[in-house]
Amino acid sequence: MPETKPKSAKRDILSIVFRLTLTCLVAGLIMGTAFLLTHDAKERNEIQRNEKVMYSLLGYNEQNPAPQSMKMYPIHRYILDENQNLSVGYVIPAMDENSALLVVLDLEGNFVKQYPIAHKFGLQNNNNEDLVVQNTVGASILARFADTILVVTDNGKRTAYILDGKYPGFKTLIHIKMALNDKFDVLGFEVLEHEEDPGLGAEITQPYFKNQFNNRPAEKMKTLEVTKDPMPDDYRNALTGKGNLSNEQKGQILAQHKDDPIYALTGATISSRSVLNGNKAMVKKFVYRIEMLDKVIQSQNIQTVLKN
Amino acid sequence: MSNTLSKKELIARGILSQNPIFKLALSMCPAVGMSTTVVTGLMLGSAVFFVQVFSSLTISLIKNFIHPRIRIPTYTLVIATWVTVIDLVLAAYFPAAYAQMGIFIKLIVAFAIITMRLEMFACKESVSDSVVDGAGMGLGFLIGMVCLGFVRELIGNGTVLGYEIFSFKPFMFFILPCAGFFVVGLMMAFFNWIEARYRARMERKS
Amino acid sequence: MMNKKFRDILIVVAAAFVIFAVVAVIMLWPAKSDGPILKQSFENADEIVLTVDDSVAIGNIIPNDVSVFEQDDPDIQMHPVQVYAGKQKNTVVLKFQDPLNQAHPHIVNIEGIAKDPVSLTVERSYWGYLVSILISALLINNYVFTKYLGLCVFFGTSRRKSTATGMGIVFTIVMLVSAILSWLFYKFILVPFHLDFLQVVVFIGLVSLTVQAVDTILRKVNPILFKSFGVFLVLVIANCIIIAVPLDMASNHYNLAETIMLALGAGGGFLLALYLMSNVRERIELAPIPESFKGLPIAFMTAGQFALAFLGFSGLQIF
Repeated sequence: MPETKPKSAKRDILSIVFRLTLTCLVAGLIMGTAFLLTHDAKERNEIQRNEKVMYSLLGYNEQNPAPQSMKMYPIHRYILDENQNLSVGYVIPAMDENSALLVVLDLEGNFVKQYPIAHKFGLQNNNNEDLVVQNTVGASILARFADTILVVTDNGKRTAYILDGKYPGFKTLIHIKMALNDKFDVLGFEVLEHEEDPGLGAEITQPYFKNQFNNRPAEKMKTLEVTKDPMPDDYRNALTGKGNLSNEQKGQILAQHKDDPIYALTGATISSRSVLNGNKAMVKKFVYRIEMLDKVIQSQNIQTVLKN
Repeated sequence: MSNTLSKKELIARGILSQNPIFKLALSMCPAVGMSTTVVTGLMLGSAVFFVQVFSSLTISLIKNFIHPRIRIPTYTLVIATWVTVIDLVLAAYFPAAYAQMGIFIKLIVAFAIITMRLEMFACKESVSDSVVDGAGMGLGFLIGMVCLGFVRELIGNGTVLGYEIFSFKPFMFFILPCAGFFVVGLMMAFFNWIEARYRARMERKS
Repeated sequence: MMNKKFRDILIVVAAAFVIFAVVAVIMLWPAKSDGPILKQSFENADEIVLTVDDSVAIGNIIPNDVSVFEQDDPDIQMHPVQVYAGKQKNTVVLKFQDPLNQAHPHIVNIEGIAKDPVSLTVERSYWGYLVSILISALLINNYVFTKYLGLCVFFGTSRRKSTATGMGIVFTIVMLVSAILSWLFYKFILVPFHLDFLQVVVFIGLVSLTVQAVDTILRKVNPILFKSFGVFLVLVIANCIIIAVPLDMASNHYNLAETIMLALGAGGGFLLALYLMSNVRERIELAPIPESFKGLPIAFMTAGQFALAFLGFSGLQIF
């Protein structure tokens, strides 16, 4: 460089700062634009994916779309804490679309009281809705969100329930969605997130494992066990739809094995057992709660769309 | 401009003589971790291809603007920008593929191969040559990943691209994640062996 | 030569000692006494173990006196199927029909052992959780052998024991500093301003900054140390683990203590992997191996065997 040394050093630093700032600005601009362009699409896709999982659990897909008359209603459960005195609040839909009811039960399942809420609750709970519930019960009671059950109705008649659950697997938590029909038979479950070992525990997402739970009544889920015996070939084919079986044959084989224990995954007995135990606990709690809630709805004559 | 290779040679160099996976042994992490099937290899390979081409393009466009003392930070910034862009796009439009690739897509930012191409080529050469060079390297990586994925999926699971080739699993071990080390090692040894044979034959002829 | 070997052994022994000391302190951490129950913990999948003081007659507790519920499910009360004295003195084992979901805190209510019913919370200890993050990053989810990250640097610097330990130590230090910096930035800038999508840029920037800072400081403060370790600093930034750790931190929403544990575990795990590998590779060099396998291929095969061995840690649960 032709300039004297100190001057050039000073100019150097200025130029470095200038160029770096400019580069950063341009980079930020590019990333910001990309973020804005993709943000909406991402949210839309997430909602769509969630819906797709739910519909496929209910047995609907593109060839066999869900009927227009089908509706989903959320039941959000809150733990109400009044100076260590616990009770449970269920947010259920009211008769008209845009309001809900908070039904409070004590720990034994007896009716305590109900509050009307003029707010339309979404299928997924959010912080805003937690605030609505907190304001409804007043400041002396602390309301804590616990979980959500979705009730599926067709022409006003209940047809199915969708539950959300998280339980420990072999390594970390397994996050699942499960569907039950109105008689509390398991329709199926889908693993949303897990970190089991690929090739071993990760096989819990495969049809030949998870479909074993399908059509098991809640009563039988209670005593279901895991076996390390190898899975019979015909059962495996019927579960995965391989081996060119007609629907009739498939039904026959499945009926034949309907009281079998859950065949554990090879090399992943602990993962299999965790899934079974987690699913068992989910079904047990759900059935207990929904029966209790229904009893209260009937006996107190609570005005809700779920009454039928 | 010191580049004496034609565009065809640049592409061939990236794929064959300087293949980033088998020859330069750079970016081994995805080669081991993400090559269980052809599809995963293809997806990550395409993402790297995109980042490599666009980074090469950007750097060769602004090469006169970059201050020589902050060369490396600028490269990192440019790569990180393009990685963020592809990360956002994949998360929005290809959620299933994105979930499968997990953290690796963000880790492209630390792949040595991309920075190396920027430092050795894009900051000196013309825009079109840099893009072709980036494309060659990206393709080399993509092809390497697909090769690994093909071998592992075929031998480990008996399928290719999800279609059944064998009705059994010849050697299930290959599809386990930790087998990636063995497959990469075996393939490297295989290429070494072929090269040695080829060289020996050449010597005998001459 | 002897000196170096001695130093290597010392480092490994010191690292092992620190880990065991931490574990021991936590295991023996005095529990807060709460009425007649001194200590409570989960045992096997379906058991809760209580340590009681001498005023309690263990034989008098019957299952119906005890009710347990998960914190989120107070309406679902569980009673143990069996209550009996444990092997250790003054311990009571509550055995349940179904396995407990130990990820959630459980509330235990016992009547009849004191004037008022006793209520207490059983949960996994937080210290145990911290250690489990460390152990997980160190062994179970070792970044090199089970997550397949940082392989370029791993294969590049594991040829000699001295370079391997040097690289491992420098890496751990930089990892720790940059993880703490990343946590600060993530917690106080990225999250409040909804700039989550800038994660990659910010984290890589912070890593470069840390490397530059350590470089400058070391050069000024201890030129001799810089001479032996300076070369590794450049390599740190080419290691994907250094960027994977902040990303993991962000996706798990760790707090500062958890972040430090994760960084220590990741750095220590990298050091461990390098040390193990360099030991093997020094010997391999003397072994007669086929020509085509020489160099990287055999190193990959060795790493594969280590990865298989580390698969054995999968599912390890200490706390």
